[in-house]
Amino acid sequence: MLKLMKYEFRKTMFSKAILLIITAISEVVFLIGLFFNWGNGLGIGTLGLAMCAMIGIFYIGVESLLVFHRDLNTKQSYMLFLTPKNSYQVLGAKVLENGISIFVTGLFFAALAALDASLAILYLGGLKEFLDMLGQLLTNIQVNINITPGSAFMMFMTVLTSWLLMVVMGYLAIILSATVLAGKRYSGIISFVLYLILGWASGMILDKLPVYGDENMQLVVTICGSLVIIAVMYAAAGWIMERKLSV
Amino acid sequence: MLECREITKIYGRKKAVDAVSFQIEPGRIYAMLGPNGSGKTTLMKMAAGLVKPNTGGFFYNNEPVGPKSRREIAYMSTEPYFYAWMTAQDVGKYYEDFFEDFSMEQYQKLLQRMELTPDMKTKSLSSGMMAKLKIAVTMARDAKIYMLDEPLNGIDLLARDEIMRSILEASDPDKALIVSSHLVDELEKVVDVAIFVKEGHLAGMYDVEELRIRQGKSVADVYREIYGHGGEQTC
Amino acid sequence: MEFNPQVPIYLQVVTSIKRDIVIGQLKPGDKLPSVRDLAVSYTINPNTAGRVYTELEAEGICFTRRGLGTFITEDKERVEQMKEEMAKELTDHFLDGMKRLGISPQEAINIIKEREKC
Repeated sequence: MLKLMKYEFRKTMFSKAILLIITAISEVVFLIGLFFNWGNGLGIGTLGLAMCAMIGIFYIGVESLLVFHRDLNTKQSYMLFLTPKNSYQVLGAKVLENGISIFVTGLFFAALAALDASLAILYLGGLKEFLDMLGQLLTNIQVNINITPGSAFMMFMTVLTSWLLMVVMGYLAIILSATVLAGKRYSGIISFVLYLILGWASGMILDKLPVYGDENMQLVVTICGSLVIIAVMYAAAGWIMERKLSV
Repeated sequence: MLECREITKIYGRKKAVDAVSFQIEPGRIYAMLGPNGSGKTTLMKMAAGLVKPNTGGFFYNNEPVGPKSRREIAYMSTEPYFYAWMTAQDVGKYYEDFFEDFSMEQYQKLLQRMELTPDMKTKSLSSGMMAKLKIAVTMARDAKIYMLDEPLNGIDLLARDEIMRSILEASDPDKALIVSSHLVDELEKVVDVAIFVKEGHLAGMYDVEELRIRQGKSVADVYREIYGHGGEQTC
Repeated sequence: MEFNPQVPIYLQVVTSIKRDIVIGQLKPGDKLPSVRDLAVSYTINPNTAGRVYTELEAEGICFTRRGLGTFITEDKERVEQMKEEMAKELTDHFLDGMKRLGISPQEAINIIKEREKC
């Protein structure tokens, strides 16, 4: 499994390196702007960093689907299907690698943002203001923490399940189109249409779940419902891939 | 050890393989012969588990082929399939990562004999070099069954000798080799059994030395009888 | 080595090895390659290579020592006899061809004598 993940990472390494380079350039522009009082630079850098974070994380998710589409519809598919790994393992490695990548990228950008924000406040506002702000920030966090002990976890689970749902749904759509169309043209577009249909169907199912007055309870139900849908889709994807898909 | 039971594969409306059955026994080298498009490749891909049949199936030691049988069945496709970023060394590493029977030492030896170096990029290999690389990485496995799809395609004479040599060296009383080709003369003196595939059907299976002893016929003679022409000649 | 694909390969290899013995390229008591090496060096099927040794043993030209390999007989008489057999076979073949051309053995001898003079 780890070995499969290693090669999944290798396939997306190039775009991740590019993301890192663009981020580094934006960061340099931001720092130059900050230290030399170059307003435009500061603005461009900040914008660049924000874009990198948003588009980057989004693209890592999308790329995982693009790679999978290529894995099934080109001769490179033999690389995966000649190994003595079964389809559930192949899919699992892809999901895990993608999840870890997104999580790490998210952490990286959060850390960078925190660092840059502190630098900016420190440099632009002077030490005293900074300490004031920090104090304020801390009290804010304190307040936040006081309000949200379990809901932070809820928040995390919601993000996790909605991401998982999207990825697994994407894999299933790609497998279905590859199984039926066997690498013919338009398989990409068909996959996308199938993806929309699957998304609509799972939306319908989630809507049918019972409604609770309590907000937390409602979240738990939605998360559990999503997890069930994810499990079903994952099993279906693996089964079709193992039994029906010809590459 | 490998059994093909009433296997049928339909592509669109065309039956690429139609109710084919045969058995592969250890200790023998098989030639799978037939013109291009006769169904040889589809049969091999089904044995490797890459292509799923419509009905029937391949069974390895009485179990349907799948991820487990791939541990012991080494398959080499005609088309190149390595990732674009790989060097010959990376290809070896990949096989080492996934196949317990792969020997890096043997791979390096074969590369050297095929006049390839580990730092060569797969992207920039000529078709002949790619064919040699595929053979090297496949034969560096200590598999029970080797299935080689058109290993001699696009390869010059000297390299053919080298490939024949690695095939013969891999043969063993408890191993089977299946080599497909549309070139008959190349395999004539090397194989035990010739399997003829014609338009998706099994057109015959012969012990080739028996054919020469009992009927004074060459494999090429039988090929002409079955397909009505001498096939594509090597030269 | 070039093979005739219509004649059993093992017989062609047997003849080739016998010829090597007769001309002294292989000497009595010499060790022959393993079955697999024989297959590789002639680029023939390994089971066919095994058959080569079975045939040579049956004819008393080789013998196998368990765990040591296959050796050429040290019986010089057998080698001499084999040479005669092969010569006789070639002569029969030659005379047969001459006969089909309507040439008698006596005339064939004359043709050979003529040939020798040049």
